[in-house]
Amino acid sequence: MVMLAIMSLVILFMVFTMLYPIGVTFMNSLKTVVEVNSFPPKFLPQGLEWQNFEEGWHYMDIPMFMKNTLIIFGGNVLVTVFVLGLAAFTLSKLNLPHRKLIYFFFLMTLFIPPSTYIVPNFVNLKDLGLLNSFWAFWLPAGASAFNMLLLKSFFDDINDEIFEASRIDGASNWYGFTRIALPLSIPIIATLSIFIFSAAWNDWFWPSLVMHGDPKYPLATAIYKKVIQATGLKQNIKFAILAMVSLPPIVVFLVFQKFILRGLHLGGVKG
Amino acid sequence: MDQTAAANVQPATSAKRRRFAPYRKNWSGYLFLVPAAALFVLFLWVPIIKGVVYSFYDIDFVNGNTYVGFDNYKTVFNDSEVGVSVKNTLYYMALCLLIGFWVPILFAIAISEIRRFQGIFRVAAYLPNVIPVVVLYGLWRWIYDPVGPINAFLGKLGADQILFMTDTRWSMVSLVIMETWQQFGSGMLIYLAAVLSIPKDWYEAAEIDGAGIWARVRHITLPSIKGLIVLMLIMQLIATSQGYQSQLAMLDGGPLNATLTYGLKIVKYAFTRLDYGVASAMGVLMFLVLGGLAVVQFRMQNRGGN
Repeated sequence: MVMLAIMSLVILFMVFTMLYPIGVTFMNSLKTVVEVNSFPPKFLPQGLEWQNFEEGWHYMDIPMFMKNTLIIFGGNVLVTVFVLGLAAFTLSKLNLPHRKLIYFFFLMTLFIPPSTYIVPNFVNLKDLGLLNSFWAFWLPAGASAFNMLLLKSFFDDINDEIFEASRIDGASNWYGFTRIALPLSIPIIATLSIFIFSAAWNDWFWPSLVMHGDPKYPLATAIYKKVIQATGLKQNIKFAILAMVSLPPIVVFLVFQKFILRGLHLGGVKG
Repeated sequence: MDQTAAANVQPATSAKRRRFAPYRKNWSGYLFLVPAAALFVLFLWVPIIKGVVYSFYDIDFVNGNTYVGFDNYKTVFNDSEVGVSVKNTLYYMALCLLIGFWVPILFAIAISEIRRFQGIFRVAAYLPNVIPVVVLYGLWRWIYDPVGPINAFLGKLGADQILFMTDTRWSMVSLVIMETWQQFGSGMLIYLAAVLSIPKDWYEAAEIDGAGIWARVRHITLPSIKGLIVLMLIMQLIATSQGYQSQLAMLDGGPLNATLTYGLKIVKYAFTRLDYGVASAMGVLMFLVLGGLAVVQFRMQNRGGN
C-alpha cells in the first residue's frame, strides 16, 4: 500500500513536470513584457495579451516556413513509399535469386553511425549540385535502411497466397505492389509517416546547412535562426511564436493519440 | 551443314538460357530494386567512401583538393580540444545513463502497477516528443534562467542560486535533464509495451504466494525485460556518443568548452573552420569506435526479434 502511494506520487510528479513547461509556454505568451521578465515569475498571466500573437505572426512568415516543412515531409513520404516500399516488396514477396545478399547490401548501412559521415554527406550534396534544393531531402529519404526494414517486416507478415493467386490470374508484379500490397500496408505507411513527420518537423540543424536562406528554410530552422538566436526579440513575443508552432502538433497528437501511440508501437524499437 | 551447326549451338544456348532463366523471369523484380539501390549508393555509400578519401585530402572548393597523407589525422591528435571533447562526450554519455536511462523503466513499471489512467499517463509522457525541439530550446533557456522559475523556487527555499547554463559544473547536467525530459516518453512506451505483455498469471501466482510489489518487480518484471533493457542501453550509448545538437543549440559548446562534445567538434571543424578534411578524419576515427558497438546491437536485436 505504501509502495503504491509512492508510485502514485512519482507518477503525479511526472505528469506535473511534463505539463508545467508546456503550460509555461502558453502562459508566457499571454503576458506583458514586464510580467514575463519579472522575478519571481508567476505562472498565470494578469491579463490576456492576445495581441502578442498578432505581433508574432507579423514577425516572421510562419505559413511559408510551415509550407516548406510540409513540402519536405510530403516528398519524403512519397519517396519512402514508392522507392523503399517497392524494394521492400520485391525483397519480401518476389522470389529473386540472391535476395538475401541484396537485402544485406541495404541493411549494412545500419551499422554506420550517421554523424561519422555527416561532413562528406554535405560535400557530396554540394558535388551533386543539390544544395538549396528540396531534392537534397527527398532523394536521401530513399536511402533509409531502417524504414526499409520496417516495410519489409510488414510485407513479410502479409500472406503470400494473395500475390500468387493474382499472378496466376496474369497480374504483373507492379499490379501486385500498387493494387494489393500498398492498400494493405496503410498501417505501416501511417507509422512511417509519423516518424518522417517528426523528423521533418524537428530537424533544424541539417536544413540550416543545406538550405541557403529564408525562402527555403523549414519551420524548425527558421525558428532557430529568427527566434532562438534572436537577441532583440521581446520574451513574450518569443513565447507567442513558440506557442503558435507548438499548438498544431499538440492538437493533432491529442486528437489522434490512440492511433498515433498504436502506430508507434507498430514501429517497434525506435529511440 | 547448316543443320548440324544449328544443332551444336542449340544445347549451349539453352544451357545458358536455363542458367539465366531465373534472372530473366524476374527482370521486373530487379528493376524494382534499381531506384532504392541507386539512392543507397548515391547518398550512403558514396559519402561513406568519400569520407575515408577526404580524410587524406585538404578539401578546397575553389582551388581543388590536394593529397596531404596523414596530416589531417596528425591535426586531430595534436588538437588539445579534441581530447577535451572526447572527455566531455564520455561525461555526457555517463550522465545520460545516470540521469536518463532508468527514468523510462521506472515510469513504465509504475504505470503498469497502478493499472488505472494508463491512457492519460501515456499521453502526458509522450507530449514533449510532439513539440519541436527548437521550441524546447527557447523554453528551457527561460526555465534555467538565473531569474527563471527554478531559481525562484530555490530562492524561496533559501538555497543559493544555480547558474544552470553558465556554471561549467552544471551546464552539461542541465542539458541532460532537458533531454531526458523531452525523450523519455518514447522509451517509456517501448518498456510499457514489454511490461504489459508479461503474462498476468505470473503476477497472480506471486501475489498468492504473498509477494509484495518490490518482490514482483525484482523477480518477475525486471528479469522479463532484461533483454530489452540491454538493447536500449546499447542504443542509447550509440545515440549519445554522437550527440551534439542540444550542446550546439543551447550553449555552442560553452561555457569554456564544458559542453564541447566530439560530434560538436566535428561540426565546428567542418562548418565554422571549413576544414572538411580534418572533420572527415574525425568522422573516420569515430566510425572505427562506433562500428563495433553497432554490430553488437544488430546481433542482439536479431536474437531478440526471432
